[in-house]
Amino acid sequence: MEGVLVETKYKKSGIFGFYRRKAIFFAIVLAAGFLGWRGLTGNLFLADRNATLTSTISQEAAILVTVDHSGQIFINGKRSGKRVSALSDYDEVRLPVVDESGQYYDRVVITLKLPAAVAYETEHELLVIHGVDNSRSYTSDGSTIVYEANGVSGYATLSIVAKLPKGYIDFPLTEKAKQVLLRIQANVWVGIAIALPLLTLIFMLLFILRQRRSGRIDLPGEEITAPPMLIPPAIVGVLMNQHVRAREVAATLVDLAVRGDIVILDRDRDFAFGKGRFDQRLLGYEKILLTKIFRESLSSDRLEIEKRINNHFYSKKISLVSAGVYAVATRLGYFKVNPQRLFAQYRLIGILAFLVGAGGFALSLLYMAQPPYIIFFWAGMMISALVVAFSASSIPIRTPLGRETMSNWLAFKRYLSSAEPIPYSENLPRIFEKYLPYAIVMDCEAAWARRFIEHNFTLPGWFLTDKSGLGLDDFCLSLFPIISYVSRSLVALREPGFE
Amino acid sequence: MKSSLPSKILYSSGVIFDVARWVILIAVILALVNTFWLTLFFVDGVSMETNMHDGELALLQKNGYAGKSEPARGDIVVVQYPGDPEHRRYVKRVVGLPGEALSVSAGRVLVNNKEIDEDYLPVDVTTEPAGSWTIGPNEYFLMGDNRFASNDSRYFGSVEKRFFLGKVLAVVFPRLRSADDL
Repeated sequence: MEGVLVETKYKKSGIFGFYRRKAIFFAIVLAAGFLGWRGLTGNLFLADRNATLTSTISQEAAILVTVDHSGQIFINGKRSGKRVSALSDYDEVRLPVVDESGQYYDRVVITLKLPAAVAYETEHELLVIHGVDNSRSYTSDGSTIVYEANGVSGYATLSIVAKLPKGYIDFPLTEKAKQVLLRIQANVWVGIAIALPLLTLIFMLLFILRQRRSGRIDLPGEEITAPPMLIPPAIVGVLMNQHVRAREVAATLVDLAVRGDIVILDRDRDFAFGKGRFDQRLLGYEKILLTKIFRESLSSDRLEIEKRINNHFYSKKISLVSAGVYAVATRLGYFKVNPQRLFAQYRLIGILAFLVGAGGFALSLLYMAQPPYIIFFWAGMMISALVVAFSASSIPIRTPLGRETMSNWLAFKRYLSSAEPIPYSENLPRIFEKYLPYAIVMDCEAAWARRFIEHNFTLPGWFLTDKSGLGLDDFCLSLFPIISYVSRSLVALREPGFE
Repeated sequence: MKSSLPSKILYSSGVIFDVARWVILIAVILALVNTFWLTLFFVDGVSMETNMHDGELALLQKNGYAGKSEPARGDIVVVQYPGDPEHRRYVKRVVGLPGEALSVSAGRVLVNNKEIDEDYLPVDVTTEPAGSWTIGPNEYFLMGDNRFASNDSRYFGSVEKRFFLGKVLAVVFPRLRSADDL
């Protein structure tokens, strides 16, 4: 029955409960849907545009197309923005020169000036569509090819093609680099995309294993029957897991209840938290947690808590609760550095690499010639970034004191999760309550409760319910879903970039 | 308390990452599928009537001719127009294969002097204008099914395989039809 805490009967209200958090979520989904639709409609394979005829007066047109040594193409002396394409066997000029001009021409003459006297070695043709009486292309001198079309309608498109032998165009460095990238075979890119995250994962695993080996924690031979020291359960949790999870928040809530600072009210399919006696011994993060649950009233019911949770996309207070727990654990000397700060550094590296990968992916898709196999590399980089961001939190950073303390707490965990029933004593109900927060934080609350199953159960004073005759099972089934729901909802509000 | 620049960068990138990572990952997966495997496109124009209609949504297999697999006669394909590969794409049917001699005579299409069976055309459709072409290596002769209103290889010549974007698998909207039924 491990992990009872995860079980929940409380769910966030449906989509019709309009809160800011949900509104932002749905806005993102809508934006993604809109972009998806735009992408789909962008796939409209426009066969032909519809030109508007501006004049029917017949004319003649002469157009000069020049190719310079770097492969730039100029039309009538103006830079066209197009350049010669480098293919494996030849360098190619492929350019629509007259494109649905809207103007009828008796005759169109396009003169192509090449950067060297290679016209006789150059394959050439004029591609025409949509209303051209006749067309031809011919070489007029060593560096000039002429393309002619007669009876060119306003809807017509005339495209010149010239396949130049290799070696006459001196492409700029960026273009050469692009060509090298484009020449790499697709399977090489796919291989890189698979190898990159795999190597990152292997590196991170080896690094984590090495750190673990050097910081081995002695597993206790025997159990101990009392907490090895008086530290709050959340600190024990972060010492064990190096993380502030929902369980640390849940354990803190139960601990506050046991200490009399709050009461938990269980109603039929509902719950509320009430203020107990707030004393001055509260730790900073405990105070902040309570201010997140209670506004100014003495109690806070489910609807009020849901409102306080769902009205925020992130919560500074919950970030401060986490930061407080990490800070106390670090100050006690359990960690070499503050875990939050270290993991944030790794996460930042991962996030930046992820965003660079996403940017490279998008740019390659937009600007590289089809098919842009390099996008596999960017996809691999993004997965590698995720591997770094998510695996960094497993790097052990406990000090020798932290490891020794953890070993002692593991000995206490053995006691909490033992299968042996607890022998009867007058203090039995008090023991159950007192150690329950530690059991929650060490993932053994169900095993701890089972140890008391044979004894009469007395409902704790901090748990108020409208049900009568509650046994231990009923108590667990009432309490755990409440604190699980609240703690998981609160932890989800933690700011992702908060340090 | 003023936060430092690195803290601001960490915070902002963390929020962007948290909010957008799944959207980005899904977009990346969709982009990969769209670029290399399958894509949807709207049919533009009437050149494939009566089998494909203007505005219909069709499914295109992008890697349909990857590696050694070659277009076959009768395949419906999407190609870039060789005269303007960046902007114009045509949906056509493969009629002639590399190395074949294709001619149009008396309204019929002949390949290597033998009439080909074009069962995808309505019975009364004839092909014009008359002419003959020799298809180069790695080139394909394409025609629209609407022979009277199609701008195809009869006018701009055979199309090199490098201009092929993929093979049409089906029309998916408004009525689902497999390419075999087209």
